[in-house]
Amino acid sequence: MTPARQRGRRCRPWWLLAAVWLLAAVPVDGLAAELDEVLARGELVWAADQEGGGPHVYVDPEHPTRLIGFEVELAAMLAAELGVKARFQQGQWDRLPLLLGRAADCVINGFESTPERARDWRCSRPYFAYALQLVARRDSPLDSLEALAKEGPRGPWRVGVLTGSAAEIEIRRRSDLAVEVIGYDGTVDCLEQVRGRVLDAVLMDDCIATFNADRFGELRGVGRPFAGGTYTILTAPDTPRLSAAIDDALGRLITDGRLKALYDRWDLAGRQQMLLLRDAAEVPPARRGSLADLIRGALPLLLRSAGMTILLSVASFPLAILIGLSVAVGRLHGPAWLRPFLAGYVEILRGTPLMLQLYALFFLLPKAGLALPAIVAAILGLAMNYSAYESEIYRAGLKAVPAGQFEAALALGMTKWQSLRHVLVPQAVRIVMPPVTSDFIALFKDTSVCSAITVIELTKRYSVLALSTGRIAELAIVTALLYLAMSWPLSLLSRWFERRLERRSERAPG
Amino acid sequence: MIEVDSLAAIRSGNRILDAVTLTVAEGTVTTLVGPSGGGKSTLLRCLNGLETFAEGRVTIAGHTLVAGEHPPRALERVRRDVGMVFQGFNLFPHLSAIDNVTLAPRIVRGVPAPEARSRGLDLLERVGLARFAEARPATLSGGQQQRVAIARSLAMEPRVMLFDEPTSALDPQMSAEVLDVIVELARGGQTMVVVTHDHGFARRAATQVVELVAGRVHRAGPAAEILAGAGG
Ligand SMILES: Nc1ncnc2c1ncn2[C@@H]1O[C@H](COP(=O)(O)OP(=O)(O)OP(=O)(O)O)[C@@H](O)[C@H]1O
Ligand SMILES: [Mg+2]
Repeated sequence: MTPARQRGRRCRPWWLLAAVWLLAAVPVDGLAAELDEVLARGELVWAADQEGGGPHVYVDPEHPTRLIGFEVELAAMLAAELGVKARFQQGQWDRLPLLLGRAADCVINGFESTPERARDWRCSRPYFAYALQLVARRDSPLDSLEALAKEGPRGPWRVGVLTGSAAEIEIRRRSDLAVEVIGYDGTVDCLEQVRGRVLDAVLMDDCIATFNADRFGELRGVGRPFAGGTYTILTAPDTPRLSAAIDDALGRLITDGRLKALYDRWDLAGRQQMLLLRDAAEVPPARRGSLADLIRGALPLLLRSAGMTILLSVASFPLAILIGLSVAVGRLHGPAWLRPFLAGYVEILRGTPLMLQLYALFFLLPKAGLALPAIVAAILGLAMNYSAYESEIYRAGLKAVPAGQFEAALALGMTKWQSLRHVLVPQAVRIVMPPVTSDFIALFKDTSVCSAITVIELTKRYSVLALSTGRIAELAIVTALLYLAMSWPLSLLSRWFERRLERRSERAPG
Repeated sequence: MIEVDSLAAIRSGNRILDAVTLTVAEGTVTTLVGPSGGGKSTLLRCLNGLETFAEGRVTIAGHTLVAGEHPPRALERVRRDVGMVFQGFNLFPHLSAIDNVTLAPRIVRGVPAPEARSRGLDLLERVGLARFAEARPATLSGGQQQRVAIARSLAMEPRVMLFDEPTSALDPQMSAEVLDVIVELARGGQTMVVVTHDHGFARRAATQVVELVAGRVHRAGPAAEILAGAGG
C-alpha cells in the first residue's frame, strides 16, 4: 500500500465525522412536518427527556412502563385539541430541539423562553411560569443568595446546573458571584451530587426543587425563587401553521380553565400560574452575530476544550497501559488465586459501557463517601476501561514471545520477575505497538463520553456553542478541523515511532 | 562437580529417563550422545532445574536437587553457577550483543555497568566478536549468534556449562566456528556437558561419552572406547 493511500485510509473516520455533523446541521426545510401532515398522520409527536424529569415528564415509580408528568397530560390535551393522538419521543434534554423536523413535531419539556430560542426556533405562547431556586445541604454554610457573592470555605461555591437551561444562562451571566458553574445532563444528578458533597448547591426551576424536596430531605431551598420566566413549546422554524394551532389550543385550555385545573391537580398553584401567564412579557428574538464575531468568540472556547480533550487522553492512556500490563502479567505469571480476580476485572470492564463506568465513578462513589472531582473520575474511568483492552493486547503480546526467551533468562539465574521485566515485557511491548497506538487514537475520540459527567471537552463545547448560537454547521467544520489537527499529528507520531522500532531492530552492526 | 543418582523422569505416563546415574569430574568434558528421543535434552534440563524429575537426586556445583518441585530461590542459586547454551541460541532480540552479555551479571549479580561492560567486551573478544558488540542478534549469522550466547553464559562465570546440541542449527562452516570456541573452553578447564550428534567433536574434546538410549544409560566411558567403530 502506498503511503498516500495509507494516509487517506487513516483519516477517513474524521472526514466521516465531519460529514455526519454537516448532515445534522443541514437546514431542516422540507423535512419539517407542518400542521396538515400532523393531521394526516393523526399523531402529534412531542419530544422530551424522561430522565429525572419530574414533575414535567418522568417514569411512574409505581408503573415503570408508564410516563407521567404535567407535560405528558398537557401534550395529550393539545393533541386532542388538534384532533390527533400524542406520541412521546425521548431525547437528551439540551439537544431536544435538534429532533424538530426529523423525529418530532414539537418539544414540550420545560424549555424556557430565551432570545436565542426565539431566534432559532418557533416558540409558542407561554404555558408555565417558573423561577430559579438555589438548593443546598441543610448543614451547608451557604445560607442565603447573598452568600454566593463571597467564596465559601473550599473556594468558589461549586454550583450545578442543567446544561443549556435558563439557570445555567442566569448564573454564568452573573460575574459578581464567586461560583464555579458545572453543567449536568439532568437536574436530579445535580441534587445527588449536592447530597454527596461534590457540589455546594444546585440552581434549578422552583417546581423541580419542590417536586424533589421529600426525596432529598437533607437539602433545602436557599433564599426565595428569583429570575423568573416562562416555558414555551418549540416547533421547527418553518412550521407557522403548526405553531399557530398550538397557540390557539393553549389559548382554549387557558380560557376554559383546563390548564389551571391541570396545574392544581399537580399541586403547581394553578391560579398563580394563570396570573403569571397573563402578565408574561414576550421575549424578543436575539440577533444573529456575524460569522467573524462567532469565530472570534467561539474559537478560544473551542481551543480550551480541545486542551481538555488532550489532557484527558494523555493523562489516562499511560495509566491504562500501566494497569493493563500489570493485569496481563498477573494473569499469566501471578499467583493462582489472583488470576480469577484479574480475569473478572477485565470481563467486567470490557463487558459494560464506558458511560456506565463513568457514571459509577462519578455518581455512585460519593455515596460511599469518596467524592472524586469530575476530571479525576474521567481520567480514572478512561484509564480503567482502556486498561481492560490493553491487558488483553499485552497478554497476547506476552504469549507471542517464544518460550525459549523465558528459559534463557531463567537459565542465567534471573528470577521470574527479572525475566519479565528485562526480557519478556520489553519484547511484548514492541510486538503490540501497532494495536496499542491505534487504541490511543480510539481513546482520544472516546474522551467525548466524559461530557456525561460534566467534563467539558471539545465535542461538548461544540454542542453547547452550536445550540446557543444557532451556528450548527459553521462550528461543526471548525470543530472537525480541530479534531483533525490533533489526531493527525498523533498518527504521524505513532507511525514515526513504529518506523523507529523497526529501524532499531534492523540496524546493521556498527 | 556433577553427580546424578538414579534419576527418573516421567512425562505423560512414560519414564523418559530411568535410573540414570553418572558422574562428571571437575574440569572434564562429558558428551551425551544417543538416538533422537533418547532423553538427552531432558536430562540436561534436569541438571539446571528447567525440568523436574520424579526420582533420584542431582548434585551440581555444590547444590543438590531432589525429586519434585523446588522453591524458586533454590533454582536461581543453582542456575547462577550453571550456564546453558541452547540449540536455538535464544538471544534476547531487543538487546545488542553486549547488552545480551551484560544483562544477567548486572541484574543478577549486581555487577556495576562499566565493569560488566568491560568484562563483556573481553568475552566477546574471546569468541571473536568484539566488533559486533553493538549489533542486534537479528543482524548476526547463526554461528555468530551462538558464540554471543556462549559469551552470555560465560559472563555469569558458571562452574558448569551445559550445551544442548549447540551446532545442529548451523551449517558446517559456522559449526566449526562454534566448536572451536567450545574446544578452547574445554582446554581452559571449564567443566562441561555437551549434547551432540557430532562424534568428531566428541573424539576431539570429550573426556567421557555417555550414550542414552530410551531414557537409560546404554554405555558410558572414554570417547575412544564408546565411539570406536562409529562413523563421524
Ligand atoms: N513434556 C513432555 N510430555 C511428553 N513427552 C515428553 C515431554 N518431554 C519430552 N518428552 C518425550 O521424552 C522423550 C525424550 O525427549 P528429549 O527431548 O529429552 O530427547 P532427546 O534425546 O533430546 O532427543 P533429540 O535428539 O531429538 O533432541 C521424547 O520421546 C519426547 O517425546
Ligand atoms: Mg534434544
